Amino acid sequence: MPFLVMPFWVSLALRELRGGLAGFRVFLACLILGVGGIAVVGSMTAAIERGLAAEGRQILGGDASLSFTYRFANDNERAWIESQGQISEVADLRSMLARGDDRALAQVKGVDGVYPLYGALSLSNGGDLAPALAPTSGVYGLVTEPVLAERLGLSPGDRVELAGVPFDFRGTIAVEPDRISGGFALGPRVIALTEGLRAGGLLGPGTLFTALYRMRVEPGAKLEKIRDGFTDAFPEAGARWRDRNNAAPGLQRFVDRLGAFLTLTGLAALAIGGVGVGAAVRGYLGRKTKTIAALRAIGASAGELFAAYALQIALIGVAGIAAGLALGAGLVALAGPFLAERLPVPAEFAVYPRPLAIAGLFGALTAALFALWPLAQLREMRPALLFRDLNEGGTVRPRGGMLALLALLAATLGWAVIGLSGAPDLALWVVGAVAGAFITLRVMAWLARVAARHLAHACWLRHRPGLRLALGAIGAPGGQTGDVVLALGLGLGVLAAIGQTDANMQRLIRAQLPEGSPAFFFVDIQTDQLERFRSLITDVEGAGRIESAPMLRGVVTHLNGVPAAEAQIDPDGAWVLRGDRGVSYAAAPPPGAVITEGTWWEAGNASEPLVSFSAHEGAKLGLTLGSTITVNVLGRPVTARVANLRQIEWQGLGINFLMILNPAALAGAPHSHIATVHASPGAEAPIMRAVGRALPNVTTIRVRDQVTRVSEGLQDLGAATRWAAAALLMTGLVVLIGAAGTAAERQTGEAAILKVLGADRARILASFALRALILGALAGLVALAWGWAAAWGATRFVLDGPFVFQPGTALAVVLGGALLNLAAGLAFSLYPLRLRPARVLRRAAG
Amino acid sequence: MDQALIELEGIGLTLPSQAGDVEILRGIDLIVARGERVGIVGPSGSGKSSLLMIIGGMERASAGVVRVVGADLGVLGEDRLARLRRDNMGVVFQTFHLIPTMTALENVATPLELAGRRDAFDRAAMMLDAVGLGHRGAHYPAQLSGGEQQRVALARALAPGPALLLADEPTGNLDGRTGEAVADLMFRLADEQGATMVLVTHAPDIARRCSRILTMADGRISEDRAPIAGAAQ
Repeated sequence: MPFLVMPFWVSLALRELRGGLAGFRVFLACLILGVGGIAVVGSMTAAIERGLAAEGRQILGGDASLSFTYRFANDNERAWIESQGQISEVADLRSMLARGDDRALAQVKGVDGVYPLYGALSLSNGGDLAPALAPTSGVYGLVTEPVLAERLGLSPGDRVELAGVPFDFRGTIAVEPDRISGGFALGPRVIALTEGLRAGGLLGPGTLFTALYRMRVEPGAKLEKIRDGFTDAFPEAGARWRDRNNAAPGLQRFVDRLGAFLTLTGLAALAIGGVGVGAAVRGYLGRKTKTIAALRAIGASAGELFAAYALQIALIGVAGIAAGLALGAGLVALAGPFLAERLPVPAEFAVYPRPLAIAGLFGALTAALFALWPLAQLREMRPALLFRDLNEGGTVRPRGGMLALLALLAATLGWAVIGLSGAPDLALWVVGAVAGAFITLRVMAWLARVAARHLAHACWLRHRPGLRLALGAIGAPGGQTGDVVLALGLGLGVLAAIGQTDANMQRLIRAQLPEGSPAFFFVDIQTDQLERFRSLITDVEGAGRIESAPMLRGVVTHLNGVPAAEAQIDPDGAWVLRGDRGVSYAAAPPPGAVITEGTWWEAGNASEPLVSFSAHEGAKLGLTLGSTITVNVLGRPVTARVANLRQIEWQGLGINFLMILNPAALAGAPHSHIATVHASPGAEAPIMRAVGRALPNVTTIRVRDQVTRVSEGLQDLGAATRWAAAALLMTGLVVLIGAAGTAAERQTGEAAILKVLGADRARILASFALRALILGALAGLVALAWGWAAAWGATRFVLDGPFVFQPGTALAVVLGGALLNLAAGLAFSLYPLRLRPARVLRRAAG
Repeated sequence: MDQALIELEGIGLTLPSQAGDVEILRGIDLIVARGERVGIVGPSGSGKSSLLMIIGGMERASAGVVRVVGADLGVLGEDRLARLRRDNMGVVFQTFHLIPTMTALENVATPLELAGRRDAFDRAAMMLDAVGLGHRGAHYPAQLSGGEQQRVALARALAPGPALLLADEPTGNLDGRTGEAVADLMFRLADEQGATMVLVTHAPDIARRCSRILTMADGRISEDRAPIAGAAQ
């Protein structure tokens, strides 16, 4: 019966695969973990992106939104906006909510009767918003986030004061549909009617608030056309536009960056898994040495054998990748409904082909890269060498063509990572760091082997055969040292870097508070309240220096006459143009100001608007002395010439403005003042009470509270990063298990010989444990060295602070390495000890 | 028998295999006196090596009693067996079984170190000299020829001065001339140390040098005799 005749190498591959996948457990586990992890992260990111896009209207509170800083739209502007469809006016401001003497900072949202245009706000008691906010006996109602009600011990019906204006607390918010579009808030949410806030004078001229006009437009209306129409009609309005397609840009950026970071962490895990893949392929080919030697001896070419084994590994690799993708997609699909209810952002869980394809591509390229080296070695080995020992073949170097293929695979993987991860700049760093860590760890492993080989024969090791055997095994060529140092070194190194950086960051945050940082920021101080404010503070024992400055906010609209959106700037400076920024004016330079270029203006100079700009940010925006910058303040464009550039120390937590104008530039603009107050810890409560009672409209921001919040936020982020590093370590552990499994074959033989020579099992086990401990601790030390270097760089150059070595974290990393490797090693050492020497030696001889 | 170093009574060995249990040894009775040179010969699969392993406590008999240097091996645990070998036996294998990460000197010193001997390295150096490899002490097994590796293995086996030397086809992996040289060395050193020797071999010339030859077939001792001069030819 005629059959399609398969090439020899295909039939050989298929025959060899009949032996099962027993030797490929680690290979498969590494691929499944790595690919599955990347698939999970990619699918989650896609789900959140789709969720944000689908619920853009609800998040934004409209199809589009125009926001004005410190003012409501004027009649013409409002009429134009109303002509586009139904609108909802929302005011957003910070204020103090008080119940008696208990006060808390709150982010207040003033709403109208049609709020929300999209979605529904629900209260915890199930009631409606409108009656909860409506005035009763002349007193308006408000609702708060549960955390604020809890902090002030509020029950429905309690009388509270918002900036000194009485309100009734009517309940807590269960769901706020547009909650996440607001960005960073200094305090929990309070919602009241705008008319109530207005009636209480909370939205008067000079008050720091943002007015938002959300629009519901006709279906099919072109949002870009509306945006351009408003800009054309009111070019000087200084309003910011946002629409449903970009409802929460800050959140979108955060999700994208976090997704990219986690994808890159997954890739690092895959790189560690690659070590396991390489080791598994090497081990598999080692076990096949006799078969390969026999086939070479009877005429199979090196190329045919290479193709046959490459095909086997490719088929198993495809199975591993498919299983990883199924695991990733399956986990997301299973956990989707559970996560959707708990995530603070909307997400649409489904099977997204693109992230799965990317995960599969990363998996395939990594597996190919790491499997190719041992396969290429096989191709270069002479049959005589195969008959002797594959370990000798470990020193064989692949030739030109294979090296070129390896380089091409590495370059393709690097290109794919940088191009597809979604954060090319971050990816470039990660690719560089992983490649650097690989090379460093390989060199360290080689050094460790050489050192161990020499140490093993030192005179002081005489009469310590167990230790000599342990060091000999660490130094042996073809042993597990390289794989363990790489796998543990990468995983623990990331943990060490995170641990050291995190500890230094927390130390820097805490350490900065006692060193000349203010205890409070006070905002919304009206000009006529300034003197009273100063005397209130001065009267409190323990109060220190008070600094104040006029405070306005403005949107940068033009740089040197070019619209800000079109200006060519360094991306690092883009944040300056993204929202509204603090603006102040001063006749004289602020105390301690360092002018790096130009000179301060003469007091009383009113010839033209002048600005003192931050030197660092100015350079990013391409500003030099004489450049012009247009800032829209309260709807009025102010074009000022750069008179000087100032060095700003943001870390000092003092009053710092990117832009300080000369007084003439902002003459007549209604504004309030910001003040910083230094105080001893014991004086903080009396100061809060005194200002709260006498000047209830003034918003108090306690620096210690905000630093704690930031610190907690960083701890959360640190925890997330640590989890990601733990995933790395888990892959590392799989590789360790693989390496320990491979080592067990050698240990079985050693145990048998040692038993023949008279060693008891405790002694043999102690030697194996010693070997695992030394090797693990060594990997921990290597990890610590490069983790320390990375943390030093991050602390010194990113956090811009002095680095202090954290011995606790360091010890944990080294001990962790030793114990992890010990656990993996011991798990595989017990079996060889149980075997009778005769059977092991007979098998080895056969 | 007072002079008996090895006593085997009704030894049987059955090992499991995928095709079912395989009976390797059946009802072996044997007594070896101190100072004897016993050669075990027979076709492949007849049970020669298994018998040697049982005498060395490296395999447990499924049936019967094994007494070596007065100890009943059947009642000893793995660690007691290891210590018994350490104090009384030296073993040489066909495939040498040197520890690849140790030098020749360290390989020879290892059993002495395990026995806690302070002169382990001096004695090991002396034994390497005795086998003609005093100059190769710092070399690893992979850097030695097959004959040299077997001489190191012989030095390792005899370094502690064992009462019993067990050798499993010690010349099986060596060419004729090298094998002969190793055998000469083995017999000479065993004589010098007064060690009893049990030797498994396929080489008639080597078997003929023993004081007693056991022929095995199908798991049994089919013949137990003194060597016949010229039989090998």
